[in-house]
Amino acid sequence: MGAITHTPAEKTLIDLLDGAEDWRAAARDAVVRFGLPTKRAEAWKWSDLRRASHGIETAGQAEFRLNGATAADRLTIDADAELELAAEAGISVASIEIDIPAGTRVVLKERYSLAEGAFPTARLEITLGEGAELERVVLCDTPENSIPVVRSRVVVAKQAHYRQATLTFGSKLTRNETHITHAGEGAEVELGGVYLLEEGRHADFTSTVTHTGPGGVTHQLLKGAVAAHAQGVFQGKFKVEQAAQQTDAKMTHRALMLDDRAEIDAKPELEIYADDVQCAHGNALGAIDETALFYMRQRGLSEVKARAMLIESFLAEPLDMISDDVLREELAAILRQRLGAIR
Amino acid sequence: MAAVKETIEDVKKLEADKYKYGFTTDVETELAPKGLNEDIVRYISAQKNEPEWMLEWRLDAFERWQQMKDPTWAKVEYPPIDYQDIHYFAAPKAGAKYESIDDVPEEILKDFEKLGIPLKEQEVLLGVKGAAESAAEARQAPKVAVDAVFDSVSVVTTFKAELAKAGVIFCSISEAMRDHPELVRKYLGSVVPTSDNFFATLNSAVFSDGSFVYVPPGVRCPMELSTYFRMNAEGTGQFERTLIIADKGAYVSYLEGCTAPMRDENQLHAAVVELVALDDAEIKYSTVQNWWPGDENGKGGVYNFVTKRGDCRGKNSKISWTQVETGSAITWNYPSCILRGENSRGEFYSIAVTNGRQQADTGTKMIHLGKGSTSRVISKGISAGRSDQTYRGLVSVHSKAEGARNFTQCDSLLIGDQCGAHTVPYVECKTSKAVLEHEATTTKLSEDQLFYARQRGLDEEAATALLVNGFVREVLQELPMEFAVEAQQLLKVSLEGSVG
Repeated sequence: MGAITHTPAEKTLIDLLDGAEDWRAAARDAVVRFGLPTKRAEAWKWSDLRRASHGIETAGQAEFRLNGATAADRLTIDADAELELAAEAGISVASIEIDIPAGTRVVLKERYSLAEGAFPTARLEITLGEGAELERVVLCDTPENSIPVVRSRVVVAKQAHYRQATLTFGSKLTRNETHITHAGEGAEVELGGVYLLEEGRHADFTSTVTHTGPGGVTHQLLKGAVAAHAQGVFQGKFKVEQAAQQTDAKMTHRALMLDDRAEIDAKPELEIYADDVQCAHGNALGAIDETALFYMRQRGLSEVKARAMLIESFLAEPLDMISDDVLREELAAILRQRLGAIR
Repeated sequence: MAAVKETIEDVKKLEADKYKYGFTTDVETELAPKGLNEDIVRYISAQKNEPEWMLEWRLDAFERWQQMKDPTWAKVEYPPIDYQDIHYFAAPKAGAKYESIDDVPEEILKDFEKLGIPLKEQEVLLGVKGAAESAAEARQAPKVAVDAVFDSVSVVTTFKAELAKAGVIFCSISEAMRDHPELVRKYLGSVVPTSDNFFATLNSAVFSDGSFVYVPPGVRCPMELSTYFRMNAEGTGQFERTLIIADKGAYVSYLEGCTAPMRDENQLHAAVVELVALDDAEIKYSTVQNWWPGDENGKGGVYNFVTKRGDCRGKNSKISWTQVETGSAITWNYPSCILRGENSRGEFYSIAVTNGRQQADTGTKMIHLGKGSTSRVISKGISAGRSDQTYRGLVSVHSKAEGARNFTQCDSLLIGDQCGAHTVPYVECKTSKAVLEHEATTTKLSEDQLFYARQRGLDEEAATALLVNGFVREVLQELPMEFAVEAQQLLKVSLEGSVG
């Protein structure tokens, strides 16, 4: 294969990473050799990043902020905190490494403050010590023409508990990747996600959970609703290594197609090398139940209101796992408000 | 767990002699020289007295194939195949096709007899070996017409006269090219185009024989049709091509069986099966695949790279694939349905068993294009020993397929802790007026159930066989009776030695 012709976005990204070391150097090398991923790459087959990045030519600035102040590249968090990814217009790179010490319990609220036309590629490395508990609540409410690409890698030690709840409204292309290494032995992982995509938006949830030790528990529940010309993507994978006997892992994805021209693509994958396990996944796609809608309308609700209520009751379930009442209510309220705009 | 350790040891003991089809037959064989080039393609075509257009078709495929690379996306590992080290044509000497059963060399008849495939019609009438005894009492012994393919050629087709009375054409594909060129030309490659994929393109260039079925409008084929594939000669590949057409309102049920001798080398099998169902037609295609899986160290065995696809071209048409796959060192097989017709229906029922060092990457594709098209996928995978098995499937609903419906269930069972079971389903949906459901589970045999069966007096092996049969029941029910019994036996043999 001959050398590829780089797009303006790729050239900017390559320049941006010029002279970088460690992972940035590897990232630069990948962009130089292959460009940004296209649908020809298996992991991006429903999210063509190269195509989405057309029109973005300049470099911008992006950073992680902890409780409002610029965060260090590597830090330890042992109390509840707010993490913010802030990005200007243009292509940018941000990274943060977070340690949750053994035995601590942390609620981390995460939000994205992106300018119009921002294309941040962000990297999070989170390590949970033994018996640590992290509840990560992510609100991904970004401008329509932004392209957030966030890849988090989470290492969960034994006895630790990792809980993630994400609420996403999509954009030109939103990619939310979570890769978890699960040590088992009393460790638990809960992954919850909700996506509500207005007309023309895209959101991609990609996750892998690798069970490396015995007796691990993982529960994943993703729910979505997609309007016309919008596209929801779910790529979930559970890998159970041979040492991870007695793993109990369950993956569920359910989505509503709100319009004939909506699109949902899913690939719920299991890769299992241990025999004494309980692993299951379910995937269901469909439209709003017309009978329920009819019932509600004849009880006097307007069609818009009835639809919004039905969608809300369908979508809200994964948010229930948020233990912090205030946070859960806040996300539920945002979801309700956005539902009002959905046709 | 002691049982696990025993399992591993038992699997190690899994001897080649469990494979009862591993014998070879001494029959004088005419071989094409090893290797693949334009001359070989011309040689094969000449051997079959093919018309000029067919040769062109093959050469075109060969040219394309040279530009292609082996696919690498499947979860199977094998050393690179030397495509120049294979005989692309092997035929028993003394003519490719025998006029009557009496001319077929005794060795070949014996070979098929050993396999339990009676080719003499009077024997067939007495009932098919392996058919359920109770069934024989319950109803008249069923008739099955057989097309027997030995290495590269079809040696005999039974019941042709009786089928002809009903207007059904059942013959080898080389005969069809001579006698029904208009049908072959119209449909060959219309479901699996020559450029479809690496192995299908290779097959298009070098395919030697296979079966051809045409069921005319409104005819319900009076008996089950079947093909039996047997690879015998050393260092050969088998490349057969099957084409089945059910015209408007027709029905046909077709069975396919395959075995090969035990050899140290890996034999290549790259087949293409094309099904076409027009308005209101139904095709039921069942396979029991039992190619030699190689020994316990993964030496030898058949590489089974097969492209099977059905096209539900007409409204209300239906295509159903049922398969029991217990053989082959490597399986790469995705029987698919293109649901083009309005209210068309596709079904896929599969049992795949891997043991020893077998690797299987198999599944289905259901492409919903027509309004109201429905599909159902039931896949049961059983991995034992040191084998790896992957279900890979696609359900795709296009924007015009309003009212489409799919249900997919894939369950995997692991026996022993040295094997792997993987599920890779793809779901793509572009209309809100569709309902798609997918479920998958991976578990091991329940200790409780095993314990219960054992305390009722069954030994562990019998208990496992019973539970496994229960696990795959939904698929076995879909098999024609004659096959269901054979399949059940096959499951038992394939899993022998896999429990401690």
